[in-house]
Amino acid sequence: MPCPKTPPFWTTQSILRHSSKIRGNFRIFASQSVEPYKVIRRPHFQLILALLFLSSALGVTGQSMTEVTPTTKSETLIPRDAVTVFSLNNISLLQKISLDDLVRYEFMEEVQQELFDGSTTGKTLKDSGIDFNQKLNVFYGKGQNYEVSGFTLGIKDKQDLFVVFDDFEKEEDLYPGVEFYSSYFNHLIIKGDAALLVRVEPNMDKIDEVTDSIWYARGNENPYYDEAYGDFDLEGEFEFEEMPEESEDPTEIELEEDEIEGDLEEENLLEKNYYELRDSVQVMLEMQYLSALCEELFVDQINLVNSDSRFAEQLTHPSEGIFYLDNSRNLQKAEGMWYMQTMFPSLFEDMKELYTGNVILGDLILNQASVEFKMEVRYGEELGSIYEKMNDSKFDKDVLKYIHKDNTAFFSYNVNLREAYEQAYKVIMPILSSEKNARMSTNVLTIELLNEFINKDALFGTYKGSMFGTFNGIQKIKTTKIEFSYDEETFEYSEREVEAEEDMPIFTVGFSTERADIPDKVLKHLSHLTSRFKNMGTYWVYERAILDAADLYMINANGLFIFTNDADLAMRHATGYGKEALSKKSAKRAKKSGFMYAHIDWARAIERFPRDFFSDRENEIIDAMRGKTGTMELTSSKTSKEKTNLSLVYNYQGVYDNSGKYLLDLLNSIYVISK
Amino acid sequence: MKFWTFSLLLFCTLSFTSCIELIDDIKINNDGSGTLKYTVNLSSSKVKVNSILALDSVNGIRVPSISELNERIADFQKKLDAKTGISNVIIESDFEGFIFKLRCDFTSVSALQAAIKDVVRDELRDKNVPELDAIWLNWDGQKLVRSIPEITVKKTTEFQQEDIALLKQGTYTSITRFERPVDHFDNPSAQISANKMNVMIKTNPHALSQNTSLLDNTIYLTPLK
Repeated sequence: MPCPKTPPFWTTQSILRHSSKIRGNFRIFASQSVEPYKVIRRPHFQLILALLFLSSALGVTGQSMTEVTPTTKSETLIPRDAVTVFSLNNISLLQKISLDDLVRYEFMEEVQQELFDGSTTGKTLKDSGIDFNQKLNVFYGKGQNYEVSGFTLGIKDKQDLFVVFDDFEKEEDLYPGVEFYSSYFNHLIIKGDAALLVRVEPNMDKIDEVTDSIWYARGNENPYYDEAYGDFDLEGEFEFEEMPEESEDPTEIELEEDEIEGDLEEENLLEKNYYELRDSVQVMLEMQYLSALCEELFVDQINLVNSDSRFAEQLTHPSEGIFYLDNSRNLQKAEGMWYMQTMFPSLFEDMKELYTGNVILGDLILNQASVEFKMEVRYGEELGSIYEKMNDSKFDKDVLKYIHKDNTAFFSYNVNLREAYEQAYKVIMPILSSEKNARMSTNVLTIELLNEFINKDALFGTYKGSMFGTFNGIQKIKTTKIEFSYDEETFEYSEREVEAEEDMPIFTVGFSTERADIPDKVLKHLSHLTSRFKNMGTYWVYERAILDAADLYMINANGLFIFTNDADLAMRHATGYGKEALSKKSAKRAKKSGFMYAHIDWARAIERFPRDFFSDRENEIIDAMRGKTGTMELTSSKTSKEKTNLSLVYNYQGVYDNSGKYLLDLLNSIYVISK
Repeated sequence: MKFWTFSLLLFCTLSFTSCIELIDDIKINNDGSGTLKYTVNLSSSKVKVNSILALDSVNGIRVPSISELNERIADFQKKLDAKTGISNVIIESDFEGFIFKLRCDFTSVSALQAAIKDVVRDELRDKNVPELDAIWLNWDGQKLVRSIPEITVKKTTEFQQEDIALLKQGTYTSITRFERPVDHFDNPSAQISANKMNVMIKTNPHALSQNTSLLDNTIYLTPLK
């Protein structure tokens, strides 16, 4: 039966009913001098945090459930505006982690508290009324006017669900078979056996734009200009003035009262001030956008699944979780694109066309001793032709000479910048040239002239695009410090410079080059500029270049131009590590990978993180991860005109029943220290 | 205010994780006037300090540029120089070695204390800092009673265990100089110079944080001839 088109005023009533609560919230936060942006996002963050914990939990609680085909699937409630979706296939997950294991984790306490308040003491997730046979879908989307975020889930028992979601109040139902509930900025919408928990937040720029428009149309002056002080209040509208000291002189009090009366006469109390107006605009815009979203979902029956076949297909994968990111919509709706859209509309359309089909699809697979994240990066043919040319590059075997077999982490990136440039020139220049705009024509002319005049052989011969990098933990580096020495006769002290040691992360970054003569020229001239820049024969050194303490070494050999602060590499291995270089097995894996390869020895990396370079908080997280062993490997496929596949595999060692358990351990460690 | 919040944060961060050397050196003339020298030496933590200065913010607090720091130091110098009984204020800032030296002359120890209290209160924009009410220098012409202001070590009580280990690597040296020989003094940790006119106590910031009276000393001078 077709749904009758219902006027979207339910949200108006609902939100107006809650407007006092919303304003109350604003006042509370305002009194704490919190920016309104943060006010909105704080509960949102908690929600997502709880959701992340919940999503791990969901997979373990459906053991006793019978499979019944739901009338409404949770994924059909994902709005079309969702740009990023992470969908968990609960059935697959629950086979791997038991509920008994789950409830032992400390983070579960938080989930329980988030979902169950005092009235639900003794309840657990099992009693939440959630249907764990359905997928749990977390989504987020940001457009030019608003952000939408939330999740959809299956419902097994609505009564139990509202024991959990007991803060939500029933609203008027305006679409047949669809129930609405609200709690402050969150809206719970139930259709059949599925629920959508959604939050719509208008972008602040949009709110300001509408508010300013109304404000100035009413004949008001600049709201940030305070006439009383003749100054602009740019610090923040919620900054409260200091309370004046109490005066014991009654005449002063009378004077103040007179002033207040005068102010009241001048000010129209029936008219909202700027900030009140902005609050109202924000509420009205939220209502408008939420209403449009519901119209599309429940009247037009349009959702992400039926509007994007790629997402629909991805949902059919049997993996534990799937990932979807529509990059083309990210580009189109990016706030920064507004300028291009306004100034160069046809160029914007062409760029949109170029980015059509740009989507990242992923699968999360939990194996016995590994976690695998497979990604497929898809793009349109024209953009694909650039990527294909760019990634069609032979692996530079020389880089392997400079990666030590005991490295902590390394990556290699092989691209052919020359080919990519030529192809991009072919694809993008016609788009730019077609724009009939004086400014664009000047830019196009400049690019064309540069293309003609610049020696591309020299440019791309010097920097081919391929590079590699290694991280080798921390080493003590030689520095100097000032010491004070005291004269025993008078205790007068004098300064002297002595050698010292400090911790420094050791890194190496190298670029492939066919023109060793060009970096050499640059280095030679730099050495004339400062005595700190020296030619040491097989390498160059720039003394105290890093943080005014550590030397930076440059090696120009074997078709590579290398920057490193590893004195051992520069002084003793300028032509490569020889037998100490990366093992043949590891080298083969790097060579076999497509344009990109990365490898991290997790245990070693954690142990070797330079503590001094991280905050106390970050160090706590690093400490929590200590003891977690394993390797992380990123590989890529050959790039075609349509797609590139990437695979991130985290292999771990140690005694764990399964990878889900390992992930929960990691999650719990982070939770415990971040409490 | 943000500058001082940052400065405090910087000091704490450095104290947490780096080696810091502090020297307070005060000379008292027979007439009660004198010279104060205060040195902060962070040269053994150059990498750490440089890495902080390279950041935009630390724990949400903006890191000022060196030129901003220089401006603030100049402002501090100007304020201190303007105080009654204080003259010849010189602040040397070495942003390569990270050594900072303050030197000023004073007409009396009470003028010095009043000036420091005023400037610190002004910089903190907080008139209610009870730690500043204490008197840490008292001179009667025959003896000097000295301690260190509690505010300088108050923050260290909040340090965590692993940071405390690093604090132990730092040094705090307190030197008191006179125009005539010292007769005796109370603090058994103190040393007297060979010429008998100077008294020095060395400790580390951690020990000081555990016992703020470590540097307390009453120094008795030989009678004025």
